[in-house]
Amino acid sequence: MWLKRSIAVFSLIASTAFIPVDPYSSSIRMPYQQAGLSKEQAAAHLLNRFSFGIQPGQIEAVVKMGLENWLQQQLEASLPDTELDKRLAGFDALKMSNETIVNHYLTPAQIILLGVRQKIIRNDSLSNTDREKYREALAKVMRESGVKPIQELHRQLVNQKVLRAVYSNNQLKEVLTDFWFNHFNVSLTKGQSQQYVMSYERDAIRPHVFGNFKNMLLATAKHPAMLEYLDNALSVSNDNERARRQQNNAVLRAARERAETRLNDTSMQGNALVQQAVAARRTQGLNENYAREVMELHTMGVDGGYTQKDVTEVARALTGWTVRPMFSNGPAMRFVENLSEEQLKRRGLIIDGDFLFRGDKHDESEKIILGKKYRGTDGYEEGVAVLNTLASHTSTAKFIATKLAIRFVSDEPSQALIKTLASTYQQTDGNIKAMIIAMVNHPDFWSKKALREKIKSPFEFAISALRATKAQVMQPFQVFNWCSKMGQRVYYYQAPTGFPDRANFWINSGALLNRMNFGLALATQKIPGVRVNLLALNNQHEPESADEALRAFSKILLPERDNEENIKRLTAMVRDANVEQKIAVAAAKTKNNNMYEEGEEETRGQVTGDKEDYKKEITSMAQVVGIIIGSPEFQRK
Amino acid sequence: MIHRRAFMKSGAMALFAAGFGGVPNFIARAAESGKIIPPYKRNKVLVCIFQRGAMDGLMAVSPFADPNLKTLRPTLYMSPAQTQGGMLDLDGQFALHPSLQSLSAYFTEGRMGIVHGVGSPNNTRSHFDAQDFMESGTPFNKGTTSGWLNRAIGLTGHEATPFSAVSITNALPRSLYGDREALAISNLQDFAIQMQGNPMAGNMAAKSFESLYDQTSNQLLNKTGKESFEAMRILKSTDIKNYQPANGAVYPNSPLGNSLKQIATLIKMDVGMEVAFAESGGWDTHFNQGTVNGAFARNLRDFSDSIAAFWKDMGTYQDDVTVMTMTEFGRTAHQNGTGGTDHGRASCLFVLGNDVAGGKVYHQIKSLAKSDLEDGRDLPVSTDFRAVFSDVAMGHLKLKQTKGLFPGWDGKALNLIKG
Repeated sequence: MWLKRSIAVFSLIASTAFIPVDPYSSSIRMPYQQAGLSKEQAAAHLLNRFSFGIQPGQIEAVVKMGLENWLQQQLEASLPDTELDKRLAGFDALKMSNETIVNHYLTPAQIILLGVRQKIIRNDSLSNTDREKYREALAKVMRESGVKPIQELHRQLVNQKVLRAVYSNNQLKEVLTDFWFNHFNVSLTKGQSQQYVMSYERDAIRPHVFGNFKNMLLATAKHPAMLEYLDNALSVSNDNERARRQQNNAVLRAARERAETRLNDTSMQGNALVQQAVAARRTQGLNENYAREVMELHTMGVDGGYTQKDVTEVARALTGWTVRPMFSNGPAMRFVENLSEEQLKRRGLIIDGDFLFRGDKHDESEKIILGKKYRGTDGYEEGVAVLNTLASHTSTAKFIATKLAIRFVSDEPSQALIKTLASTYQQTDGNIKAMIIAMVNHPDFWSKKALREKIKSPFEFAISALRATKAQVMQPFQVFNWCSKMGQRVYYYQAPTGFPDRANFWINSGALLNRMNFGLALATQKIPGVRVNLLALNNQHEPESADEALRAFSKILLPERDNEENIKRLTAMVRDANVEQKIAVAAAKTKNNNMYEEGEEETRGQVTGDKEDYKKEITSMAQVVGIIIGSPEFQRK
Repeated sequence: MIHRRAFMKSGAMALFAAGFGGVPNFIARAAESGKIIPPYKRNKVLVCIFQRGAMDGLMAVSPFADPNLKTLRPTLYMSPAQTQGGMLDLDGQFALHPSLQSLSAYFTEGRMGIVHGVGSPNNTRSHFDAQDFMESGTPFNKGTTSGWLNRAIGLTGHEATPFSAVSITNALPRSLYGDREALAISNLQDFAIQMQGNPMAGNMAAKSFESLYDQTSNQLLNKTGKESFEAMRILKSTDIKNYQPANGAVYPNSPLGNSLKQIATLIKMDVGMEVAFAESGGWDTHFNQGTVNGAFARNLRDFSDSIAAFWKDMGTYQDDVTVMTMTEFGRTAHQNGTGGTDHGRASCLFVLGNDVAGGKVYHQIKSLAKSDLEDGRDLPVSTDFRAVFSDVAMGHLKLKQTKGLFPGWDGKALNLIKG
């Protein structure tokens, strides 16, 4: 008996190669052979879809370890990332709480306000007419109070995304983080939410990308970034019993009057700002923005079968869901901090991390949502129940299934595939890992129609080029700038829809030219802080002819693809250009008579002599690489 | 060895398609084969200028005759009498800020109309939300995937071209999100295959790319590739860098001036542009707004002079072009404690074009008495921005229909465009 069990355990360990057992892992099948794909082709496809691009030698590595094992490892997402961690070490904001961030990374207006409050600058010394003085004032406050400009926070956010995408060994985790962030989009373009985006990705998205959908839904719903971005933080019921009682409380009334007097004193610009904010909030009642989008964009989909009445009712259920005050020494913060558990409860306040539920702003009347009755008196729990109902709705299963299928399989997925994924969603309580496995087990994933039919987004395109060339990225922000030029300013998409996941959104004339320009700039070392070593990429071997260069680099950059036709075209052109070149050279010969002189070998790389010739040699190889990266084939994944 | 070196030299050089006389080979060749002729036709153009930050409409076009204004704005108040002719009294009720002088003639000539008390039915005072709603054109729905200008392009019934809709900005504005191709470009000169410091190599690369995109089996890449190179050729055929404005027009050297200059360049190239988009910033005047002089006046002068230069430059194209400005909301009727104004509700906008029934301030404003203000503090929105936008788009761009332009809106359009 003992023996039997130990053998069983033993064989289990052996078969899973040190990877902990996962309830779904044993069911990975991958019917690529049936689709007529070789192991190598299948590995390439898998890497194209579940990573940010194939690195040289990676297909061989995946084939060697087994495709199933690779996917399993990616689903575990626990590979060490020492190299990446080193690159991220200097980014202090990555580990900061929202509270630290809001008090540390400030907008210019907040910095000035702080300066005035701490009497570092004088209120009357300010005018927005003298920009030089304004900048000086900002610099002075930052110096003396130790705060930083918010742009620095954004820079770290953008940089970490680029670096993780390029260097993380847990690629699928990064791909899914990108996908789910976009699904639950928030944007740096909105001032009120920008300071929270760093934590949003880290705390609301990242931990859930392999988990159950409903947990991610709840985490995003309660996160300050989303609460501010879609205005739920402002959504209040004007008709609340507790609020009325408090209104009538004489002590509170006196306090409020005092506060109003103070607010009406606009002699300080700080007060003007506060007054404005208070006035804005005061005019708000129910705000349906989040309620609408949580149904339309996050869960059920626009045709999911809800009505405008449902939207309003969901909004009512979520009244009072707001952000915990976080400005240090702010009156709201002091107020909340000084309340005991008992006092919090009496006032109907619930604090959970940075989330604050205000019972006194919650709509306590009965609601009917999607035909289900909510009695109205469950406070915070009512909202949670509503979100769970949305998450488990059949429309949600179908909506999420469709979105995943579009991202990972094809722009036009089959109904059969969607059905399979949707039923997996329902059987597993919306388990994302299980859905990924169901996807690769489906023949559609491997079909000839799906192969290379997805167009990379600008971000995917840029990162895949960096991975394919083993680029050293010292200045990730440069990559972000290029992505913006190509049409994907990551973290800045204004609408809650997120970037559309459609080829024709990415591919337009301006964006396409910039993709080609990116290829050329990368290969010719014209992106500051991004370096590629093409010679090393080709095993330190210099191609001896244009044909050879084309062949070698096509194979390195576009493995497992049929590049023959492209090579033929380009070779013809190179030869064609050759003839023209000879004429041009003949014409220019008198001007440049050391063109064909010997001895360039010796001066190569030196500052003097034939520096131009050396540059051109490097350029020729680089140009081939640039053209391959900018080519149509490289846009596909 | 010789073989290798030969590649290194000739191969390297081969990859620079050398051209004689500075004309890139592929262009010369294309010209020979007649391919360079622009396939695009001249269209009506709507130029939209978004004043981000919320312009103080009560100062730009001041209801100076309303006695409440002086009370509400003791130090910000201006009147034609006070400014000694610096303000143009439009109709005894409203007057243009002195900074708008360069545009005032167009009002007098009846080519510029002003709509006052315009804004969104959604009372948000958040810049972000208000801009978002104005640009999507759906004031109560954040999830609208497209922007109203993109939908307008779709409703012209014309074939899409790379330049149908152009925004002179780094990123595509929300107004142009959508199914129709729209180009966001901050500098037209960037619309090219570029190899820094090596233009010849760039030409060769361009040729290679063109050939590759020509043969790809992916239809979208194939079609867009063709369009890109066509568009690139057209832009290259004009000396954008040394563009000379017509009629002695001088653009201010400001972001808006430069944007409008580039838009003018494109219009004169007849590339089939129908919608152009530019931005103007600096309108969020919470502090020390100033009156005849100061931050607001300076910004407004740049705004006015940029548009006036553009209009002068348009010359014979004026019949085809209409300019419309917009801003997300107005500012408080009263001034605040720091010599500025805070976020309010309605503002005003300008429409300039030969087909505009101008010379008139279109408005439904009652008064600035507290009882007539929204929440007792703001100029209320008496004209829905969609009533203006839909009329201008319908009338000037000759949309086949306006159904779908502003989903969920069935209000009455203003009658601003003649004919």
